[in-house]
Amino acid sequence: MSTKEKIKKILVEELNLEDITPEEIMDDAPLFGDGLGLDSLDAVELVVLVQKHFGVEIKDMDEGRPALQSVDSLAAFIEAKSRL
Amino acid sequence: MKAAGIRGVGLVGSFGCGTGALENSLRKGPKPPEDLVFFVSGRERRIPVHAVDTSPLDNFVSKREIRRIDHFSRMALLGAFLALEDSGLTDASRDSLGLIIATGYGAIRTTFAFLDSVLVDGDSFASPTLFSNSVHNAAAAHVAIQLKITGPSLTVSQFEMSVSSALLTALRWLDQGRVERVLFGGVDEVCSVIGYCHERFFGDSGGRIQPFAANRHTAVAGEGAAFFLLDRQEESRYGLITEVRQGRITKAVPFPEKGSYIINADGHPGCFSLYRQLFRPEAEVAAFANHYGSFPSGQSFDLAIAALALRNGIFPSISGQEEMPKGWRYPGVVGKKGITCLKCDGEGYLGAIGLKGG
Repeated sequence: MSTKEKIKKILVEELNLEDITPEEIMDDAPLFGDGLGLDSLDAVELVVLVQKHFGVEIKDMDEGRPALQSVDSLAAFIEAKSRL
Repeated sequence: MKAAGIRGVGLVGSFGCGTGALENSLRKGPKPPEDLVFFVSGRERRIPVHAVDTSPLDNFVSKREIRRIDHFSRMALLGAFLALEDSGLTDASRDSLGLIIATGYGAIRTTFAFLDSVLVDGDSFASPTLFSNSVHNAAAAHVAIQLKITGPSLTVSQFEMSVSSALLTALRWLDQGRVERVLFGGVDEVCSVIGYCHERFFGDSGGRIQPFAANRHTAVAGEGAAFFLLDRQEESRYGLITEVRQGRITKAVPFPEKGSYIINADGHPGCFSLYRQLFRPEAEVAAFANHYGSFPSGQSFDLAIAALALRNGIFPSISGQEEMPKGWRYPGVVGKKGITCLKCDGEGYLGAIGLKGG
């Protein structure tokens, strides 16, 4: 399973997005606001989930804000951190 | 305190959703419990439980809106929606509507899931969503937000006395004019920890609650939510709650001697022995826990059955009535003395709720 596929699965299962399937999530769709409709509590949850499932820590807002824009950006962040 | 009228009833239990489902269960006999699967030291265990399906909540609110709401709060939310709908007061102001929830265990499934996550993965991986739902008053918060209730909100937990304790406060709020109406409900849930405790402490229940069994444990754990819309109207199709009492159990029956009683005998022989001490041999007594299960706020379901009996003027015709102690008999027509819902706990306390026709 690719990083993007794993992220989508986590989004649906761990954030209980019962009205959408992982396959329906677009790679470049915004995670927050008009896109997937996540909110600030989801952001906190996502920080925990990324560390738990990928072993990658999002240390602060400076890292988190660009990383949590979309599945694309989050996958790129995780893959970049994993290479370090 | 002045009496409170019951304007609406909302139920969700193992019997299904709504007052009709409960009446159907009473008429046809209780649904068999289902197996709860859990693991002890890696070994699979199974125990019968009366479990609830909250999928009818989809009729009231979208999946997206309830995605962060756990099973405990979903039961509460469904019960609350149903009670409000049943009252016909869906358009009434929510500014002067109070909300009181009674629960013995709170969101125990979520509480232990949160604790497990901390123990297994460490506190840095603790889920903020699990934590927010693990507090006892989370259900009241979800109900207030979804139903846009802006009156006072309270969650009361006094284990098996939770329902009578919370109801005392509801009547007080109405009496003081603090609110015009109160949405009042009892809710508890079952989980693997409850399953483990039942197996560990009580052993095999036989899978069927026998409320009047005096010498053996037959409690089957259950869950559900029973909600009521209460107001100060003196006429109400479901009758009036005229009195609520709590205290130590004495040998005196706590309410009029010739009334009918619904006791919350739920398969614990120790508690049942207390009920036997309280009643005269010719008492009119009914018990219905075999239809919804054993849990601390189960008395709220007895309150619902009393309300239905007052609406109909007669106790429900039931299928499969259990054998009762000698001299006790099942009530028929609801008399002028009304109905008392009585709960005795294992610590020697009772909670009694008196109702009369309105």
